[in-house]
Amino acid sequence: MLSMQNISKVYRAGLVETHALREFSLQVDEGEFISVTGPSGSGKTTFLNIAGLLESFTAGRYLLDGKDVSGLSDTESSRVRNENIGFVFQSFNLIPDLNLFDNVDVPLRYRGFSSGERKRRIEKVLETVGLASRMKHLPSQLSGGQQQRVAIARALAGEPRFLLADEPTGNLDSHMAMSVMELISEINRNGTTIIMVTHDPALAEMASRNVHILDGRVSNGTPEIKVAQVASA
Amino acid sequence: MFSYYLKLGWLSIRRNPLLSTLMVAAIAIGIGASMTIITVNYVMSSNPIPQKSDVLFYVQLDSDDLNTLDDEDNELLDQLTYLDAMALMKAGKAYRQVASNRSGLVLEPQGEGERPFSVDTRNTWASFFPMFDLRFLYGGGWDDTADQNLERVVVLSKEINERVFGGEDSVGRSVRLNGMDFRVVGVMDEFLPMPKFYDVTNGAFNEPEEIFIPFNVAVEYEFDRNGNTNCWKMPDGDGFEAFLNSECVWIQFWAELRNATEKQDYMDFLNAYVEQQKELGRFPRPINNRLSDVMEWMEDQEVVEDDARVMLGLSLLFLLVCLLNTIGLLLAKFLGKSTDNSLRRALGASKSSLFIQHMIESGLIGLGGGLFGLGLAWLGLRGIEMLFGEYVENLVGMDWAMVMTGIGLAILSALLAGLYPTWRACSIAPASQLKIQ
Amino acid sequence: MEIGPIWRAMMRNKTGAILIALQIAVTMAIMVNAVSIMQEKNRMLSRPSGIDENNIFTLASVGFAEDFNERATVEEDLAAIRAMPGVVNAIQSISIPLSGGGWSMGLAVEPGPEIDGTGVAVYFVDEHGLDTFGLNLLAGENFSATDIVWRGRSDTSWPDKVIVTLATAETLFPDDPHSALGKTVYIADVIPMTITGIIEQMQAPWNGWDGVERVMLTPNRTLFGSSRYIIRTKPGMRDTLMPQVEEMLAERNKGRIVRSMSSMDEIREKSYRAESSMIKILTFTITLLIVITSLGIVGLASFSVNRRTRQIGTRRALGASKLAILRYFMTENFLISLVGVLIGAALTVGLNIIMIETFSLTRITWYLVPVAMLMLLAVGQMAVFGPAKRASSVPPAVATRTV
Repeated sequence: MLSMQNISKVYRAGLVETHALREFSLQVDEGEFISVTGPSGSGKTTFLNIAGLLESFTAGRYLLDGKDVSGLSDTESSRVRNENIGFVFQSFNLIPDLNLFDNVDVPLRYRGFSSGERKRRIEKVLETVGLASRMKHLPSQLSGGQQQRVAIARALAGEPRFLLADEPTGNLDSHMAMSVMELISEINRNGTTIIMVTHDPALAEMASRNVHILDGRVSNGTPEIKVAQVASA
Repeated sequence: MFSYYLKLGWLSIRRNPLLSTLMVAAIAIGIGASMTIITVNYVMSSNPIPQKSDVLFYVQLDSDDLNTLDDEDNELLDQLTYLDAMALMKAGKAYRQVASNRSGLVLEPQGEGERPFSVDTRNTWASFFPMFDLRFLYGGGWDDTADQNLERVVVLSKEINERVFGGEDSVGRSVRLNGMDFRVVGVMDEFLPMPKFYDVTNGAFNEPEEIFIPFNVAVEYEFDRNGNTNCWKMPDGDGFEAFLNSECVWIQFWAELRNATEKQDYMDFLNAYVEQQKELGRFPRPINNRLSDVMEWMEDQEVVEDDARVMLGLSLLFLLVCLLNTIGLLLAKFLGKSTDNSLRRALGASKSSLFIQHMIESGLIGLGGGLFGLGLAWLGLRGIEMLFGEYVENLVGMDWAMVMTGIGLAILSALLAGLYPTWRACSIAPASQLKIQ
Repeated sequence: MEIGPIWRAMMRNKTGAILIALQIAVTMAIMVNAVSIMQEKNRMLSRPSGIDENNIFTLASVGFAEDFNERATVEEDLAAIRAMPGVVNAIQSISIPLSGGGWSMGLAVEPGPEIDGTGVAVYFVDEHGLDTFGLNLLAGENFSATDIVWRGRSDTSWPDKVIVTLATAETLFPDDPHSALGKTVYIADVIPMTITGIIEQMQAPWNGWDGVERVMLTPNRTLFGSSRYIIRTKPGMRDTLMPQVEEMLAERNKGRIVRSMSSMDEIREKSYRAESSMIKILTFTITLLIVITSLGIVGLASFSVNRRTRQIGTRRALGASKLAILRYFMTENFLISLVGVLIGAALTVGLNIIMIETFSLTRITWYLVPVAMLMLLAVGQMAVFGPAKRASSVPPAVATRTV
């Protein structure tokens, strides 16, 4: 479904060149749950931005459902993002002045759905994450875990091709983190493809496949996982 | 502590020069516009003779037509007839009194190639000079005998003296007016009452007359009148004599009454006089004599133009818009990321000390805005001078009272504008802004 | 368009919006009332005086010598002036429209002191008066040379003929103004005069007088000691003739001063200087006001955009195009401006009512309010465009940055 082929990203600041990604390749099939790990500075965030069409890249190809989405105009890539990708951010990124209903509504508005269609979808996804009763509340009235659930609902409302999660539990305590991860696993079980970027090996293990980035390249598994594999062997 | 806050305020202002400039500019423009108009209004309504304005009274007798009596209006004729003015002067019941009117004579300077020119003249009595506190460079006014004996004496203004005699002491010298020789008895010092209250019927902001001669002399030689003449009833017959005895009003009359008793006594006298005239067939209307002191008289004559008042209202609203602007800018500044409020709170500053700090910063901006605003007001007054011409030459100067008003207004406005943003800034929980990037 | 969420979000963070709305409201109130005043002043100073202004000038002659013979002087002066090439005609008179000084008398249709007369401005003219002023005689006839009477300073009698303006006739004979011709009116309560002519239009010397269109012409020459000459030239010749006439008169007779020469243009300019200055001041004020309000909107909008950088990035990540972000902020500003102009409309009318009460201004013409509303909406949109454009340039990658 998703294919990144030899993606390179170079940042130029004056005379300094930073190679954030070097010939990075990744294939993701429908229904997979991929975790992307790596130390800080490894290029995880760059990968995230490129995968989410938030940034352009210097070289390589990016195919989504067989269509080349490299070098799209701003309007086109916005549309692709809107229709295909569901974002879940580390700091939730809910809009503080909007209630939950309006927050989930945001991507649907850009989709151009009718008001009836939007209402139906919003109510459905809020139900899924268990927060339908608090539709009119403001984010400030919710706990961190609840806010992230709303963010997940927002990501799901447009029935995206895949969920792109950036450290989804990074700002949560362990209890809330667990419940959010359970939700994400459940969503994956119901058929949604998930790409999750994380630095937490325990979370990485909940995915079905792991991709490890080191210095902008895919490296061959984390030492810890190798050890685990060896241990279980 | 105050000087510490001043320093903090100054540093904060310097930290964001663009924003600070905008704020100072917003206040400066509002103050500039307002102070321009406030100054004009202030001068127009100022007391031209504060040391005596409550003892000088303008006299009005209601010798008008009964047929045009309009109770609602209660407007009296604004001048006196010759008969009444002379009668009041002769009776001399006030501490001092003076009748006068405006006139125009032709002055022929002595000397080769000198051309004659017109001079603005006031015909008046000896009492005019002490009553209106006039100062002399040389000599003085004439005395009562000159009035009685119709002496041809003249008091020159400083400007005329310079033009004709080169500024020298010309007392005793002769000036040729309308073909007759007049003896100079005095040269006046600068005299620019603003407004020209003693005769507002002929232009409240004109310059005073250039020469002064005795009233009786002007009547004797039938010199031309330059003011308003208003006759509700035509004179009985032709000729100057008939005109003098008519109901035409053309004379301004002032009385100096030093206290309430004198004022009441004089009013009684006026009423008795009118009663007596009624028996002679004059004064068809019911008695309605009036004594107005200087400020009352100018109020009655609506010396402050409506236009000026309208502009005052509009300019204060303008200041309001500038204030709203400033509130917005201060809000942006005080709530922006570049403040160190939370840091100070964490380090022990109380809410109230933060409040004072921000208010002082607002005040500093107000001061800056006030200073620039005064500069803009000066420009504004020059602009008004250019537009209106000579008419307002004497209206557009700022005195210290105006300067202090301008600065005070600016600082007050800035403080008012700063109240809400300061309150908002101090209400933010200390922790929220301390997160490190 | 997401008006609902934009409005709801705005309501939860009202301050900036209220500040802008209030600024717009007060600006509108000031603007509309100022324009209304300007319109009124403009109406005043656009009124024609009824005479041939482009080609008329006047100067004063003030006699002072002992042996000054005014009658002879005037007759000789007029003959000399009329003989000059380029001069169409000239008369002696004591005042001229818009000069600010002159005579007025009461006219009534019935005699008697108890009858209230109507105030009418008086101009003394001879048989050349109509031609000198360039007046249009609608009915009746001009004065003839034999009608002219010399008038001394304190004379109280009046000629038996008078020419009036149509406005005077309308006031005195409201039912049938044109029938005024031949009728008798009474001046100075009891002296009868016959209306022998009606002229179309001429203004009194006082431009602020409510009777400014009521004028009468009497066949008089004056012996007041000083008077004016009113001179009409051929088109284009006025400016060259003015100094020539002044010079000629000064040379002719040294027993008098020639002074106060002005063209009718100068007289008009001086007469309406207050009005035209007011117009200029108000124009300047309105412009300044719009600039300030625009800058205020730019400032506050920029601040508001900066505060919401993260939100903008998130929206972009969720699929908003640059255009969608631009539209968001333009719409938000439009809503604020809309509230502003609605409040503004109320404030405008309120302020106008106060001004009418206190200063007897006139009511604003109704269309000014919607025009001002549209204008300020447009100004607001233009002002917010810059910050909105900047907002749309916020990259989507902002959403993934950690706080």
